[in-house]
Amino acid sequence: MRFPGPGHPVARPLRLAVAATLTAGILLTACGSDDAPATGTAGTPVAGGSVTYAIDTEPTCFDIHVSPQDITAAIQRNVFDSLVAEDNSGTFHPWLASSWKIAPDLRSYTFTLRRDVTFTDGTRFDAAAVKANFDHIVAPTTKSRFAASLLGSYTGTDVVDEFTARVNFAQPFAPFLQAASTAYLGFYSPKTLTAHADDLCGGGPVAVGTGPFTFTSYTKGQSIVLTRNPAYKWAPATAKHTGAAYLDTLTIRILKENSTRIGSLTSGQIDVAGAVPPANVAAVEANGRLQLLRRDAAGSPYSLYLNTALEPFTDERVRQAFQRGLNIDQDVKTVYFGQYKRAWSPLTAVTPSYDPSLENSWPYDPDRANQLLDEAGWTGRDSAGYRTRDGRRLTAVWPIMPATVREQRDILGQAFQEDLKKIGIELTRPPLDPGTFLKQAYAGTFAVLDFSWARFEPDVLRLFFHSASTLAHGGQNASFLTDPEVDTWTSTGAGTLDKAVRDDVYARAQQRVVKTGAVVPVYTAATILAAEKYVHGIDFDTNSWPQFYDVWRDRK
Amino acid sequence: MRAVGPVRRRERTLLRAAGRRLAGAAAVVLGAATLAFAALQLLPGDPVAVLLGPATSASPQVREQIRADFGFDEPLPVRYLHYLGQLVTGDLGRSYQRQQPVTTLIGEQLWPTVQLVAASVTLAVVVAVVSAVVTTGRRSALRTLVELVELVALSTPHFWLGIVLLTVFSFRLHVFPAAGAQDLAALVLPAVTLALPVAGVLAQVLREGIETALEQPFVVAARARGRSRLGVRLRHAVRHAAAPLLTLTGWATGSLLGGAVLVETVFGRPGLGSLTLQAVTSRDLPVVLGVVLLSATAVVVLFTLVDLAQLALDPRLRTAAAL
Repeated sequence: MRFPGPGHPVARPLRLAVAATLTAGILLTACGSDDAPATGTAGTPVAGGSVTYAIDTEPTCFDIHVSPQDITAAIQRNVFDSLVAEDNSGTFHPWLASSWKIAPDLRSYTFTLRRDVTFTDGTRFDAAAVKANFDHIVAPTTKSRFAASLLGSYTGTDVVDEFTARVNFAQPFAPFLQAASTAYLGFYSPKTLTAHADDLCGGGPVAVGTGPFTFTSYTKGQSIVLTRNPAYKWAPATAKHTGAAYLDTLTIRILKENSTRIGSLTSGQIDVAGAVPPANVAAVEANGRLQLLRRDAAGSPYSLYLNTALEPFTDERVRQAFQRGLNIDQDVKTVYFGQYKRAWSPLTAVTPSYDPSLENSWPYDPDRANQLLDEAGWTGRDSAGYRTRDGRRLTAVWPIMPATVREQRDILGQAFQEDLKKIGIELTRPPLDPGTFLKQAYAGTFAVLDFSWARFEPDVLRLFFHSASTLAHGGQNASFLTDPEVDTWTSTGAGTLDKAVRDDVYARAQQRVVKTGAVVPVYTAATILAAEKYVHGIDFDTNSWPQFYDVWRDRK
Repeated sequence: MRAVGPVRRRERTLLRAAGRRLAGAAAVVLGAATLAFAALQLLPGDPVAVLLGPATSASPQVREQIRADFGFDEPLPVRYLHYLGQLVTGDLGRSYQRQQPVTTLIGEQLWPTVQLVAASVTLAVVVAVVSAVVTTGRRSALRTLVELVELVALSTPHFWLGIVLLTVFSFRLHVFPAAGAQDLAALVLPAVTLALPVAGVLAQVLREGIETALEQPFVVAARARGRSRLGVRLRHAVRHAAAPLLTLTGWATGSLLGGAVLVETVFGRPGLGSLTLQAVTSRDLPVVLGVVLLSATAVVVLFTLVDLAQLALDPRLRTAAAL
């Protein structure tokens, strides 16, 4: 979900270049060595069979109400349903709720639930189940690291009648429908919540939901097995079919090593590989047996946040020079083999209320950067070639936590250091342990921090730029920005469902934080999957997680 | 009748030696436990912040709940005593990230690693003994070749070797599955990966030991009694050369536990290695502590066993000082 949160795929230091080279070799030699089977998604879906899907990250905790991990939600999406479903245009559709009413003050949402939904342990899904789940999420004993924050200022759920639930908030809360559509606010059987509350992190059959698959087994470090729920008949309108899932079994293998995961796919030992490294994309595309599927992430792209409250970035001109001095286009293209798009805004292009007018508005321009630094008084040069002012070097600290580096962001950081050196800014990257990192990050002693945050919702702007969203209190305001207008805009956006108003305030916020140099958007990561062509119907939801409900495979 | 006395005495002295060493081992484990605990206390930063990571939406109430649950707000001596108390009762606490008892987590992951390490050590020793016995004392092309292979093997990183074996035997030849721990076939490649570099070291040490032993006068005596060349090597020389081999095998087993981290990752195997890696990267300190203790105990037990085996093997060591 974000960098460098718990459980993210981490770069293993020993993932040697030789391994990458080797794998590329295997992929290349595998090309065309097999007969390409008949393909095409035009065929009629057939039920039955199983698919093995390899992922690169093992969830540390399977409890959707506790874990902040993407991978947890992506897997459990198959097991747990939500009240509503959101399509890729940002429109909400009925799911477990057949309809809903929102109070004009946005402080309560009344859901009319479907009457025919049962959990896989036979328990009926009703208003009491909604209340039990939401109450469980916010209970301090649950120690929720993410889901509770999606419930905002939740005050409780009223069971209006058996199939009507009213969810109440202390503050107007516009993002609730989006939150309610995510797997994090999915529903456990109330029976499981009572009997197994302490075991939910461990996954397995205790994870009882209403979803198209049941969680059959979990072998740590190895695999997760999901089995079709034959009784499933409440798919949302966003799905391509109704009724039970096509696949009998979905086996999710945990193969952390890229070479092993990709090699297992090209040698036919698995059917779908997740997290295809950008370096392997060309070889997969050239392999006649395989198809490549991709979707850009929603939310905040990977960005650098410049500490507006700390020298030298208290000066807007220095921040702007920093933005203009980075050759982002070229660096991102080089490091990610052209697979990740360069970002222009603190929202990614697929996120609602994205402002496309920012595109190309702040291109690489070292001349402009030099001019800005001159204007800011950093006109001296020291023996190392860095700019100085009053005898002090123009330097900025951007710490790195080696254990949490992923997506080769350390390499990208080196390219940035080189870029900035050319305009006379020294960017240092001291490696830190998590404890020191967090302590100093909270205290605001770092000039630069980097994060990405996946969520199909422009409200992430409030998380990153509202003055109340401090790092120490569960926010992500790493720019230490205190801009009353940004506060107003992001609060207004969170307090209305009026699309025109939201587009307007979020566009203003995006432009302000980019133009004042509070943030340097860098790239939008993409979910890249490779699959055998006999596997059909893989699609991504708004969080760019692959969905398996509609997936089917040709008969062998 | 005559043999009973000395044998009994030998058993008794060995038992006494074992007892003394076990007491020493317990002290070492306690020391390791205390050091590990102290090291964690010295980690900078607020433990709750460390556990949650830099990007979290946990509310202050949740933070307080975590603080109370893990007893971070208690004074240090109380926590230390509590920790020792837990250790004595075999309780290693609960994982931060997985919210399960550490003993359960380790227990589940222990067997696949034990399987892997045991298979690797056995394979390494067998390969080393065969290679050393067959090639000692011969100045032949075979010996040069074997020594070259050993040199390459012992300088090959596990990681690279694993990828090469995977590429050849799984991705290309489809002989073994690439990953998992479902059956014995899945154990072959990881075990070979772990074993080969160790086998290289052991073979070289053993060969040198055998050659030194073969120069001893007793070899001539044995040959004079009519023993065959191979018989002398197997019955006498190997036994002499076994002492350093034993010590090295103990060391190698300990180091294989570390190598398992990489091999388990490459081969997608469950086990302590992948558990440790995940615990370290997700800052799951109770699990890290548990693994440290387990490793310390395993290594101490291992070295005690090696020590006792040496005593049993070599009468010269059974002096008062050694016991």
